Amino acid sequence: MKRSGAEIVIESLCRNKVKTIFGYPGGAVLPIYDELYKNSHRLNHVLCAHEQNAAHAADGFARVTGNPGVVISTSGPGATNLVTGIANAYLDSVPLVAITGNVAVPLLGKDSFQEVDITGITRPVVKHNFAVSDVRELSGILDAAFKIASSGRPGPVLVDIPKSIQTDVCEESEFVSQELFFNDLPDEDLTAAVEAITEAERPLIYAGGGVVASGASEELQTFAEKISAPVAFSMMGLTALPAGHPANLGMCGMHGSQSSAKLQSECDLIIALGVRFSDRATGNTAKYKQGKTLIHVDIDLSEINKNTAADIELCGDVKTVLKKLLLLLPQQFRPQWQKRVCDAKKLDLLPLENNLTPRTLLKTVAKYCEADTVVATDVGQHQMWTMQYFPFQSPRTLLTSGGLGTMGFGLGAAIGGCIANDRKRTVLFTGDGSFGMCLQELATAVSQNLPLLIVIFNNGVLGMVRQWQTMFYEKHYSSTTLNRKTDFPALAKAFGAEGKKVTSLLELENALTTLAPDTPTVLDCQLDMDEFVLPMIPPGGSVQDLVTRRN
Amino acid sequence: MELFTVELTVVNHCGVLNRITGLYAKGKHNIERLTVQESRDPTLSVIQIATRGDAAVQSQMMRQLSKLFDVKTVVLLNNSTL
Repeated sequence: MKRSGAEIVIESLCRNKVKTIFGYPGGAVLPIYDELYKNSHRLNHVLCAHEQNAAHAADGFARVTGNPGVVISTSGPGATNLVTGIANAYLDSVPLVAITGNVAVPLLGKDSFQEVDITGITRPVVKHNFAVSDVRELSGILDAAFKIASSGRPGPVLVDIPKSIQTDVCEESEFVSQELFFNDLPDEDLTAAVEAITEAERPLIYAGGGVVASGASEELQTFAEKISAPVAFSMMGLTALPAGHPANLGMCGMHGSQSSAKLQSECDLIIALGVRFSDRATGNTAKYKQGKTLIHVDIDLSEINKNTAADIELCGDVKTVLKKLLLLLPQQFRPQWQKRVCDAKKLDLLPLENNLTPRTLLKTVAKYCEADTVVATDVGQHQMWTMQYFPFQSPRTLLTSGGLGTMGFGLGAAIGGCIANDRKRTVLFTGDGSFGMCLQELATAVSQNLPLLIVIFNNGVLGMVRQWQTMFYEKHYSSTTLNRKTDFPALAKAFGAEGKKVTSLLELENALTTLAPDTPTVLDCQLDMDEFVLPMIPPGGSVQDLVTRRN
Repeated sequence: MELFTVELTVVNHCGVLNRITGLYAKGKHNIERLTVQESRDPTLSVIQIATRGDAAVQSQMMRQLSKLFDVKTVVLLNNSTL
């Protein structure tokens, strides 16, 4: 039986166990949308308001489930609108399959209406991409796209399908598979690592997104307990241990905990698991590494020695490597180091204020959350405060834009995350700046009846940039005072959502106890514009430069 | 800085060269010499690229190139054999 390209797309998605896709229709994907219409019983298409948010939604969906998120858009502007979402997934190693339509093959390369070279545009920000030029290749390409997106170090894959290929037909017997070259992981030699760990007096684990991606939370906890080492996290790894675990130092780096900064500078061995030594996590790399042995475990060989030279390289899946290490290592006791860890952790304890502040806001909302509540953030001060103060309990409950730092990521991601988590209550912490970037997606949250709790940290300014202007630019508040007068509760109601203004902790508690079960709610929380995110290690600095209070 | 040459066996397909040179451009490494030729197997091409960089750059470029799904082999050529 002959199948059209559009039918092949649907079959490939179903074969790869896709049930939900996010997207926006248009001229160059009409044949695929016609098939989606006929196959709505087995593929749920979530219509978004903007392709960028559709990509963020697919990204959020993937972060919660661990399986590739799928987004579909038309050619030209539909495709270019995906680019930020694709780059965001690339920087955070999120499995994503983006399908774009393009003009018919005879019109390619002629600046036809709504034609862009989207494979060319996205090449630097995808794990791989394909421009389909023959319908017989389509099935093999889509299977390869799913395999590439989810294997090894995950990442986004784009498949560009010209409209004529969607209507071309071929027999299944004519399908051709793709020739692609996958790197095999080398057999790791763990001897040097075991020796270094056994000999270390003050080991510290630096854990990142690779721990979450490989599902190694349990192994990480056992490993930390077995070798008596504290764990400092990059933002992408933060949820790998429950917040209350004694070895958990929270996030490290520019806005990391004091304990993580102090202990990182005092340790003699760093065991880096699934991290890439981002400048935001390390600061000055020379000082970071001074006098320490570094074991770097990562599934991507090109990450090892990229930003920081490793003494011991272990290229492999974090979970697999940890399992092997656990078999080889005896229980280790380091009472002196453990005592030092306990003391250092006391630096992170601060008395809670009585009024509405970023910290009391986060702690109050946390009381109304379950261990599996998915929490999304946007980018800026509110994001850092969330990392510092929200007590995450389980992996895959945090959706945040780590590498790219995409303001506007949060709402789309919360929609995707909510749908992935059985449409349970999902929280978005955002700022008035970030929320302004993509708030049209409220329309989708309403049309999908999603119980989103959207908490706006409204301080009337672009707070993180303002903080830098205060600290490094002589208080020249250039273009960071918004002066917008947006009435967020009224805006929420205009979209068909609920909205309330919150000026005190009492109002916050009242709002949280009366949330509508199947409608998004926007809480417009009024905060001081001069709150700082602290502690802070200024860019390129080290623990000596740690700022713990405002001058 | 030392000139080093990498020889790649790649899929003979449009866009592959762009993917490879894009990696060099991303790291701001200027390409000093470039040859591309169909191999005896017409489905594969052989690419030689010479650029400047120290041992760390060489190693990083080799590792980045090895990750590409269109690239079958990556070999660092000895300068004396060129």
